[in-house]
Amino acid sequence: MIHIKNLSKVYTKGRNEVVALKDINLEIKKGDIYGIIGLSGAGKSSLIRCINRLEEPTSGDVLVNKINLIHLKNKELRKARKKIGMIFQNFNLLHSKTVFENIAFPLKLVNTPEKIIKEKVNHLLELVELSDKAYVYPSQLSGGQKQRVGIARALANEPDVLLCDEATSALDPKTTKQILNLLKNINDRLNLTIVIITHEMEVIKEVCNRVAILEGGNIAEEGSTVDIFSKPQNPITKHFINQDENLPKSFIKGKVLHLSFTQGSATQPLISQITRDFDIDVNILSGKIEYIQNQAIGKLTIQMDVDCHRLLDIIKYFEKNYVKVEVIKQ
Amino acid sequence: MNEWIELLTPSLLETLYMVFVSVFFTILLGLPLGIILVITREDHILPNSWLNQILSYMINITRSIPFIILMIFIMPFTRLIVGTTIGTKAVIVPLILATTPFFARVVESSIKEIDWGVVEAAISMGATPIQIILKVLLPESMSSLVLGITITIINVLGYSAMAGAIGGGGLGYLAISYGYHRYQTNVMIATVILLIVLVQIIQSTGNKIAQIINKK
Ligand SMILES: Nc1ncnc2c1ncn2[C@@H]1O[C@H](COP(=O)(O)OP(=O)(O)O)[C@@H](O)[C@H]1O
Ligand SMILES: [Mg+2]
Repeated sequence: MIHIKNLSKVYTKGRNEVVALKDINLEIKKGDIYGIIGLSGAGKSSLIRCINRLEEPTSGDVLVNKINLIHLKNKELRKARKKIGMIFQNFNLLHSKTVFENIAFPLKLVNTPEKIIKEKVNHLLELVELSDKAYVYPSQLSGGQKQRVGIARALANEPDVLLCDEATSALDPKTTKQILNLLKNINDRLNLTIVIITHEMEVIKEVCNRVAILEGGNIAEEGSTVDIFSKPQNPITKHFINQDENLPKSFIKGKVLHLSFTQGSATQPLISQITRDFDIDVNILSGKIEYIQNQAIGKLTIQMDVDCHRLLDIIKYFEKNYVKVEVIKQ
Repeated sequence: MNEWIELLTPSLLETLYMVFVSVFFTILLGLPLGIILVITREDHILPNSWLNQILSYMINITRSIPFIILMIFIMPFTRLIVGTTIGTKAVIVPLILATTPFFARVVESSIKEIDWGVVEAAISMGATPIQIILKVLLPESMSSLVLGITITIINVLGYSAMAGAIGGGGLGYLAISYGYHRYQTNVMIATVILLIVLVQIIQSTGNKIAQIINKK
């Protein structure tokens, strides 16, 4: 649905050049909820804004629904943008218009007949559960309600894609969850492709089926959320999923392994099996269960005193039983 | 009492006429000018730094000429347009010329107050520049624009009184011809009171309308 090829973005201000994106390649499939996560300044906003050309890419191609947006002139670009909805961190609603008028705004731009506007807006109001607020002004709404208006407005032209630039970053955790559930709901019902930019791993865990980790204008890692969570490769990814948290240096001695149990492997008593089969002592350093898109992933950090050969055998044993293993210290 | 009304009413009507016509044309010219000043900025919807700078210089130059001097300076132009250089009609031309650049700046600053994110949202929805102007910039700045128009009306009122000095008619002319030339101070005081009342009414009406429009 979205195909980004060799995308670069350089901001030039006088003599200063800031390279925000370096040769990005990305493919987002129809129906994906695709997360892009990174630290502040990583280039997330630049990337998502290049998708609808709110920011002009310096080089590269952006294809949405097989149309290369880069080659479009003003008029065709405007037409293409109508099929790419966008919501923002600060909601960006029109203060002078009611909730109803805000949602009707994109429909008015294309001269939709009043009767159809009324039908569509009422339907959208139902979808975002704001029917009772139709004639209220945005200043009287809470943050979560404002974002729901933003979502309804973005959906008015029945887009193929919804771009969300830090759409929940101004909201509290509970409201964030509600908005994410709404997005997921819309994704299910309309098979809408959604791109989510965020700096919070919680957001990715909650709704994204795929994720890219952006660092310094590069994609550090990309894959299905479950894979990324159970076997992160890159230090920045590990930072985001807090894997190496709270393990004091003094505890890291002997061999330390990090294990991720996905659904297939969580049901077997594997730890007690290896202590028996390999005749070793296993010391558990930390453990928790993460829920990613309603899928439980068990995380366990263990320590043991074994030589390298035995270690390899143990790793093989785990992997045979679908446990992902990462060696933290050998 | 009656003679006061007879004396003041024609001048008051002249003043109101001058102010109304001047403000009408000021808005007609100054509003588009102010919009162009914003949208042709480098980071706005129709960047054109050449046009932006030319307009900006022209506005600055006109605004730096004192009104009295401007009035005298453009007399030939005034004659060309309204056929005379004295009376209410003649004052309207320099009034418009002096107020339009001021109002354009007022419009510019009102529109610049709008959060750029709202404009971006409209761009992301595929709005044309004209749609952005008519459906975003103007409605979103309306409350602030009404206050700007209020200030402009009061300014024009002040200028129109000043114009009385060189035979413009209206309350300013009345005050000067009676109070200054004929030493009838009480007439001057009456016109001043009338002007104060007018300014109060205009300002409070403007505030009220702006408040009603403001949904922020
Ligand atoms: N309009 C701009 N002009 C100059 N530099 C910019 C502009 N927008 C972003 N940048 C720079 O590009 C880099 C990436 O920014 P951004 O895409 O906003 O990152 P993020 O959204 O991940 O925080 C940063 O170094 C930022 O300073
Ligand atoms: Mg950002």
